[in-house]
Amino acid sequence: MTNTATSTRAIVTGGASDLRPRRAGTGRREQLVSWAFLAPFVVAFVLFLIWPIVHGIYLSFTDQSLTGAGGSLVGFANYAEALTDPVMWRSMGNTVWFTLLSTVPLVAIALLMAALVDRGLPGQWLWRLSFFMPYLLASTVISQIWVWIFNPQIGAANNVLEAFGLEPLAWLQNPETNMMSIVIATVWWTVGFNFLLYLAAMQNIPPQQYEAASLDGASTWRQFWSITLPQLGPATVLILLLQILASLKLFDQAYQMLGGVASDTTRSIVQYIYEAGFTSYRFGYSAAISYVFFALIVIVGVAQAVVSRRRKEQL
Amino acid sequence: MTPPIEPAGLSRRQFLSVAGLTAGTALLAGCAPGATLGSGPQTLQFWHLLSGGDGVTMSTLLQQANDAQDAFRIRPTVLAWGTPYYTKLAMAGAGGRAPDVAVMHATRTVGWAPGGLLDPWDLDRLAELGIDGSKFPDPIWEKGFVGENMYSIALDAHPFVMMFNTDICDAAGVLDTDGALKKTSSPEEFVDQLRTVSGTAEGHALSYGYLGDGAQMWRLFYCLYAQHGLAMELPIGGKAIIDKDAAIESLEFMQTLLDGEIAAAQNDYGSAVAEFATGKSGMLFTGVWELRTMQNAKLPFDATVIPTLYGTPAVYADSHSFVLPNQTNPDPAKRDLTYRFVADMLKGSFGWAEAGHVPAFLPVTQSPKYDDLLPQAHYAEAAEHVVYDPTAWFTGSGSSFQGEFGAAVQGVLLSGDDPAAAIDRFEARVNTLLAQPNPADPEGTWKP
Repeated sequence: MTNTATSTRAIVTGGASDLRPRRAGTGRREQLVSWAFLAPFVVAFVLFLIWPIVHGIYLSFTDQSLTGAGGSLVGFANYAEALTDPVMWRSMGNTVWFTLLSTVPLVAIALLMAALVDRGLPGQWLWRLSFFMPYLLASTVISQIWVWIFNPQIGAANNVLEAFGLEPLAWLQNPETNMMSIVIATVWWTVGFNFLLYLAAMQNIPPQQYEAASLDGASTWRQFWSITLPQLGPATVLILLLQILASLKLFDQAYQMLGGVASDTTRSIVQYIYEAGFTSYRFGYSAAISYVFFALIVIVGVAQAVVSRRRKEQL
Repeated sequence: MTPPIEPAGLSRRQFLSVAGLTAGTALLAGCAPGATLGSGPQTLQFWHLLSGGDGVTMSTLLQQANDAQDAFRIRPTVLAWGTPYYTKLAMAGAGGRAPDVAVMHATRTVGWAPGGLLDPWDLDRLAELGIDGSKFPDPIWEKGFVGENMYSIALDAHPFVMMFNTDICDAAGVLDTDGALKKTSSPEEFVDQLRTVSGTAEGHALSYGYLGDGAQMWRLFYCLYAQHGLAMELPIGGKAIIDKDAAIESLEFMQTLLDGEIAAAQNDYGSAVAEFATGKSGMLFTGVWELRTMQNAKLPFDATVIPTLYGTPAVYADSHSFVLPNQTNPDPAKRDLTYRFVADMLKGSFGWAEAGHVPAFLPVTQSPKYDDLLPQAHYAEAAEHVVYDPTAWFTGSGSSFQGEFGAAVQGVLLSGDDPAAAIDRFEARVNTLLAQPNPADPEGTWKP
């Protein structure tokens, strides 16, 4: 391992020094050209990413209002308020709870759907289309669809319950069921993306392995368990990571399905940031909450990196 | 405007330079509205949040205002009501380049005036145009003031009322000889009346939608609470003053109504409106803005204020009001035309009454013509007893305050949670908001 790394580095270094005399004449011009090509990206990057981040940090230390008032430095007052604000912690808790509730089915169902399509279901194009189609819809559209489905008086969800002799529910309004309702709608909406990633990963597995296993008399289930699943490891890690990040951003569908109503059991941290900034006009405070959230994501990210490195070392 | 060129006969470079020149000229012309001063009618920018039936009525009124004179032309911009509207209007005011005039809910102005997002109205100029306090019901005129200055002039009051199906109520025998609903003056009497109506209505006696709708819960609750002769007080920096007994009594009464027989236990706003509009229920608690819906449904119905059940007549309402969003350098000529426009609109607000709203301008509601406008005339008395949201920077229509109320009490209505605990939750949340500075004046420098 070490030998290979050293030799690679030697080749790279050697190659670069070999090129040096040839590049001397045109270096400055090439550099200029490369910067010219990079410039639009760099400008956009600084303007729309770096500057907002820096400005946001500054805002979080002020009492700046969206209405233009304020702007004086208030030190850590916003952070102190955020850390002792029960609504902020509740919203953070809701976000984490949603992430836990949604990630498991979004990965498991996607895997199941991909396995069904990958191995022999007739009319594959129809399955692929119908599994992926909801993902193409805008959040406004899916919110409206599920508001209808969950309507306590005329919704299809209660028709199903009643068909089984169960009591109808106020799905979206009852604090005991509203988060689950949002999870159901979200899974239906976004599972198609994970399905596609899994399907791509499955189709990268060489068919010869399955052929060989069949010749050895392995059942379809055995093949899935011993060939497919182990080779999906890297895809699963990627899907899990993307899914956790996507779920932590919960906002639009929950906000729209509940008609923008603040609900103690579904208000996500992103919604609280939005409410603080755009409903209560407290930009400084809103910025502070978003950096507290950012800090938590960084902590989760670092913890995840540490755990996966340990696992690799153990392997 | 189309450049007189044949694109096919030009090189790409020539075409681009001609097109650029044309666009640049158009842009410059658009940037210089002052250049047309004195050379024709002035364009006044007007933002409002009225859509649906209200939006159609407002368009008609604006057309009439435009056609009646040559001095100005109103250019309306309609934005989705609620947070999006108020966010955009606030930002326009903060930037000092706001529209010439806008519509706001009267309850929202108190959160804006301290930050200078609104310019005050000149009462003398209004009086010259025939607009003064004597022409408005007192509570509606007073609501326009924040401190000493007037920041909003009400076009209407849009109260929370009770509509009733005259066929169903007649069959149930709860109508007087003149067709009005028999008066009830206590919760028990009203519940008895509703149970009588239950016998003849195909669905429920009463339709009331509240699920996931803090505003709907708050409207009925605060109407009942105010009928106790009380008002919530929200002193900034202090603690909310809420009469617990009255609050609990009001919530318990709402629970009584939602027993599954008088009214559906689980109903959202749209379903409740649909239930009444299709003739399945006897009564409906709703805002006057649904009047057109019922008229279009060809329903035999009338409307009245919600009966006074706790001694003091009180009708929960808000007002669509004209405001002057802050402009850094207002053009005096345009500002004066804005005053004329608002005066014209108030004097011509009979058309607005047709949409269901109670015009704030008394000469309109006191005219014989208005008496003939039914059922509007049957609830016109609401204007004398209007009760607005308690005054604080965070209250009012489209604010999060009503959502907070809904979040705190929905469990009481939906699953029979304890009303006292719900009021405590609400109070705690309000106290948290009271401890926060007004975002329009975070440093607390504004003095009325």
